[in-house]
Amino acid sequence: MPLIDPVTMSSSIAKGAVAQAQAASKGKDASLSTTLQPVQVRQTAVAQTVRHVFPALVAAVFFFQFGHLVADPVKAMQRSLPVVAALQIGYALLCLPVAGSPAPKLARKVRPGEKKKPSESSVGQNGYVTALLSLLLAVLIAPFFHVTMILFGAPFLTHGAQTFLCALHLAILAVFPLFYAHGVDSAAWAAVAGFQAPLDETFGGLVGALVGAWLGAVPIPLDWDREWQKWPVTILCGIYGGYLIGRGLGGSLFFGKKF
Amino acid sequence: MSQPPEPKTKAPSSPSPPADADNKAIIDYAAAMRAKKEKKEAGTAKARQAARRAKEKEDERISAFERQRESVEAARKARYDARWLWAAGFWVWMLSIHVVGIAYFTSGFLLTRLMLDEKSSCDAPPTLNSTGIDVLPSWRGKGHVDGGCWHPKTFERAVVVVIDALRYDFTVPVDDNAPFHNAFPFMHDTARMSPQNAFLRPFIADPPTSTLQRLKGLTTGTLPTFVDVGSSFAGASIEEDNLLMQLRDAGKRLVHLGDDTWESLFPGYFEANLSKAYDSFNVWDLHTVDNGVAEHIFPLLGKKTGWDVLIAHCLGVDHAGHRYGPDHPEMTKKLQQMDGFIRDVAATIGEKTVLIVMGDHGMDGKGDHGGESDEEIEAALWMYSKNPVFGRTKPEFVTPPATAKTRPVNQIDLVPTLALLLGIPIPYNNLGRPIEEAFVGAKGNAWDKLAAAERVTAAGIKRYQSSYFAARGIEETSAPGSPADLWTKAEALVAKEARNPDWATVFSAFAAYQQETLRRCKILWAQFDVKNMILGIAIMALGVVSLLVYVSKGEDDDVAVTEDPELDIAERALEMQGLGADAEVTAGHDLDKRLVSAALVGAFPVLVGGVAQSVVSGDGDWYRGAGLAALTSIAAVLVTLYESKDALFSLVPKTLWGWMAVVFTLSQSIGFASNSYTIWEDSILLFFITTFGFVSALSALKLPSLADRYLSIYHSILFVLLGRLASFSKLCREEQMPYCTSTYYASATSSTSAPWQLLIPFTAFLVLPSIVKAYLVPARSYEGMAPTWINYAFRSGLFMAALYWLFDAADNGNWVPSLPANTFKNISVYTAQIVLALALVAGTTAFVWAPPCVSILTATRKPGQAQVTVLGYGNAHGARYLLLPLNILAACFLLSKPMGGGALAIMMWQILALVEILDLNALAASPIGPVMLALLGSFHFFKTGHQAVLSSIQWDSAFVPLFTIRYPWSPLVVALNTFAGQIVATVALPLVVLWKVNPRRKGVLASVSRALGVFVAYFAVEALASMAWAGWLRRHLMLYRVFCPKFMTAAAVLLVVDLVGILVTLAGVRCNTAAISEVFGWAE
Repeated sequence: MPLIDPVTMSSSIAKGAVAQAQAASKGKDASLSTTLQPVQVRQTAVAQTVRHVFPALVAAVFFFQFGHLVADPVKAMQRSLPVVAALQIGYALLCLPVAGSPAPKLARKVRPGEKKKPSESSVGQNGYVTALLSLLLAVLIAPFFHVTMILFGAPFLTHGAQTFLCALHLAILAVFPLFYAHGVDSAAWAAVAGFQAPLDETFGGLVGALVGAWLGAVPIPLDWDREWQKWPVTILCGIYGGYLIGRGLGGSLFFGKKF
Repeated sequence: MSQPPEPKTKAPSSPSPPADADNKAIIDYAAAMRAKKEKKEAGTAKARQAARRAKEKEDERISAFERQRESVEAARKARYDARWLWAAGFWVWMLSIHVVGIAYFTSGFLLTRLMLDEKSSCDAPPTLNSTGIDVLPSWRGKGHVDGGCWHPKTFERAVVVVIDALRYDFTVPVDDNAPFHNAFPFMHDTARMSPQNAFLRPFIADPPTSTLQRLKGLTTGTLPTFVDVGSSFAGASIEEDNLLMQLRDAGKRLVHLGDDTWESLFPGYFEANLSKAYDSFNVWDLHTVDNGVAEHIFPLLGKKTGWDVLIAHCLGVDHAGHRYGPDHPEMTKKLQQMDGFIRDVAATIGEKTVLIVMGDHGMDGKGDHGGESDEEIEAALWMYSKNPVFGRTKPEFVTPPATAKTRPVNQIDLVPTLALLLGIPIPYNNLGRPIEEAFVGAKGNAWDKLAAAERVTAAGIKRYQSSYFAARGIEETSAPGSPADLWTKAEALVAKEARNPDWATVFSAFAAYQQETLRRCKILWAQFDVKNMILGIAIMALGVVSLLVYVSKGEDDDVAVTEDPELDIAERALEMQGLGADAEVTAGHDLDKRLVSAALVGAFPVLVGGVAQSVVSGDGDWYRGAGLAALTSIAAVLVTLYESKDALFSLVPKTLWGWMAVVFTLSQSIGFASNSYTIWEDSILLFFITTFGFVSALSALKLPSLADRYLSIYHSILFVLLGRLASFSKLCREEQMPYCTSTYYASATSSTSAPWQLLIPFTAFLVLPSIVKAYLVPARSYEGMAPTWINYAFRSGLFMAALYWLFDAADNGNWVPSLPANTFKNISVYTAQIVLALALVAGTTAFVWAPPCVSILTATRKPGQAQVTVLGYGNAHGARYLLLPLNILAACFLLSKPMGGGALAIMMWQILALVEILDLNALAASPIGPVMLALLGSFHFFKTGHQAVLSSIQWDSAFVPLFTIRYPWSPLVVALNTFAGQIVATVALPLVVLWKVNPRRKGVLASVSRALGVFVAYFAVEALASMAWAGWLRRHLMLYRVFCPKFMTAAAVLLVVDLVGILVTLAGVRCNTAAISEVFGWAE
């Protein structure tokens, strides 16, 4: 008498196949994650300064705009958008390695007395083009964020300008540096979208901005009758606060860590 | 060995060794199916011969083995049945814990009062049947409004000015410079200078001190409770007997100016062309209402005709308090304005007019109110008349009391006072007493009149109490000191004193009766029993804890062994040799059994003890035993659970999904502490549902197989889009205004559907069965009974439900006037009954007897080798079980309005997408599945046109399948309508576990029970949280409007979920497992 039940046997084979596939994919995952390195901020003095100054500038812009934002969100967001975009472009050009550049050796300390290679500190033609393209791509991502916000319960037919500007801010703040650093590398983006990328300033900023935007919805329903509860002020606050915190933590405390 | 036809199909096929015992059942089944088919198709004799030959051959070879196998199967079935009974026992226990916890809390919290429908009438004073001796034998026009129904009337007309939040100390001289003091001296001065024209007294409000509740008290003369159980929940209007109703019935014309709360409480009472209502909620606006009142009141006062009673409600003082607090110059200005206003009104009124100025409540130090602090309940009352009619029983009473602590009157005292002054009957439910200044005469010695007024009022109270006790079925006690005793003494006094009356004594006797009655009623109706509330919360909380520990038990032990074929075969071999039969019972599957035993052991002695104690002591509170029994029972269960190790640590989630489940549940529960988050619960649920969808879409990127990845992303996005689509179905609650637009009905003021909405059920009829089919086809599960049931029975159910709503609309809109009346109503009711019969009666029968949704193909490859392919094997459990939620869905679809039907159809689609997501991400054992299902159920509670308020109950749904109210069917129908979302979710719950599960899976019952545990835990946590918050915030301004209805909804939902979980879900799983195991063998 054959011992094997045909039905269970075949089902076990199906399972086995899945398990094999899973095992294989784990291997693939591992290989994928080893290829994607956290984005290193350049080691130049300028970059290291800018890295800390620019977030402060972004925060300052947001802080001083806040009154206007509460009074007239659309106008305030329109006005601050170019400033924030310029700051982000400046940050990317000065601090981030441009997409496609050879990955810097992991945290290689510059030995005392050693001359820095000129190519590391200068921004080539490539950088400006990439920055512009990245900005364009980030703007193209904005409609996706807009739809996402609607799906989370943002007004569908009204407040279109507010929602879209909020989405634009989110894209330029959090997605633009990622485009600048990773280009359109599909493996990198798959890792980012699947939240498997290692944390760094760019990815940390994205995660922070998304979490902040999510938490930004919390105060909206409260019946405090405050002006700042209007759409999308709290979301924007969450985005900026989350972005700055995420960027700070991603670049320092949790650098290179993964979820 | 052939491979499955498609990657997603787990349907296996393989060459069949002829003598294999386990295959026997399948082959038998296949042969039977084949034989049936062949009979139909008049197949060839050859095939039949082949089948017979094969069967004979097998029979020979395995007959001995077969008998052994059958006995093993029978043993397994018996064990399954026993396990099922114990699991059901556990859930019955859980249900009783929830019932006891909720009942305990409710008994301390939800103080109920019956609203009686009786009305007082002019010609039947309550003293009619008493001793026959009247204090006042007769007066001109007695028994008629013109002379005074129950008492000689004093005034023809009345002007009642309510100054919202007029605290007593605002009106009396106080020796300080506070902005709110000494700004409003007019009333105090008049009372002191001309005591026969005016008096001023503190006016004590009964909490809650919110305007709406106060106006109820001020017009009905009764105490407010949470639930005034009456003929109708719907609408805010007062339906009890009240002053305004009596005035209207007596032919008096009423005019109202100011706060629009009056208009909602008394719709249609006021002369529309003279009245003017203003929005009461804009607390930032201090002047609009007051100026509007002033603008309209003086022209009216000048008129000799057109009105009899004028009510003016000023809001400025209250708004100034809310906005600035009392300690602010604006308050001074406001009070000065009121001072001048009252001066002018007093100067303008006529001779036979009484002017009453009062605060409906006070305000606390911050200017807010709603609670029961002294400052909030101490308002002021001032009465004024041009004629000298008011007196004092003692000369020192001329100066108004310096503080509200001396000589206060209750607010409800205004009701009999005003009624008797105007000559109308006192409202039936009144508990107040006449204010002595108004009846004792200008000289202060008309004790006969005062005693008569007191007596007729007391008689009214007595009459009300008797009918109340009769309606509640309670015996009145007549022990010394009880109201009944005091009443008897007072009446005896009337008889005794008739010759040489000392009316002051009589007055005191009746006053004592009234005060004692009021005191008892306050205890009965207006005080929380905090002890019971805490006990209820404790029972619920421990119930939740034991549920969580139960859920966290052995999350992995049954999943691990389920699908290891070799182990299974080895087990079977052992069992067949009669070795393992008993060993397995102890293997941890009998957790339910031990829990139920522990629960019974824990509960029984205390329950018996409680009952025995109550019998011995005779105080009848046997239910105390139930509460203690619940506690000891939970304790015993927890000890049992704790014994089986790794208790509490496994509760901490380890994955993102687990954390999401916890965050969704807890954040919502915490949010119920805020009225805003309670009000916007529907938006919050959408937010969570979308969050889950996005997280699952993103995490799908980690899936190894590209096809799985795309499928998972597709279902996730679908899940989110459907949720957002459903969110367009809205029925806004009042508090959501103006940020919400109702779409559930044709317009905000109707409860019928718009014509375009009738397309929704027809769309569902066309689309939904195909969608369900699309979810079954990939796993080859659209086999067996599925096509017939889904494509024909289910579809025609939906079609007839759509027809029902078409007929209903035709009936409402009278589309075909030529038809005789009721034609459409008759057709629609019978259509509805057919749908319900199809869905619930035929559907249940079919579900019980249906074979699995599989097809078995047998092909002979080589002589002596048959290849058996079982289509739908991989989803055998899920596909067959799906028929049950579909049946329930069809019933709920009919009973929800067209918009709600659409929401439920979307919900079904979302459920299918959800179980696909869970399967693709291997989350069947994660708590996120049941929690998401619970969120979906709650979400669609709102999307089927409900809110957590009593007024959103769709009572008219009771008439969908019935012409009249019939018990128990009407409440069942309303429950199916109200809780459709949660019921469908509960019934669909096993899909989380069973979807894409093949018959070899072990421990299905334990997994379902655990998933049900998570599911119920969600609702239990919600109920516990809303219960705890409602208890904690029991003096909150929004208690009646927000927290109390939320608690009631959550408690009702929990009990419904428990009941449906036992009666439908667990029973359904049992039927399903039995049907599948009959074919494929019992998998334990």
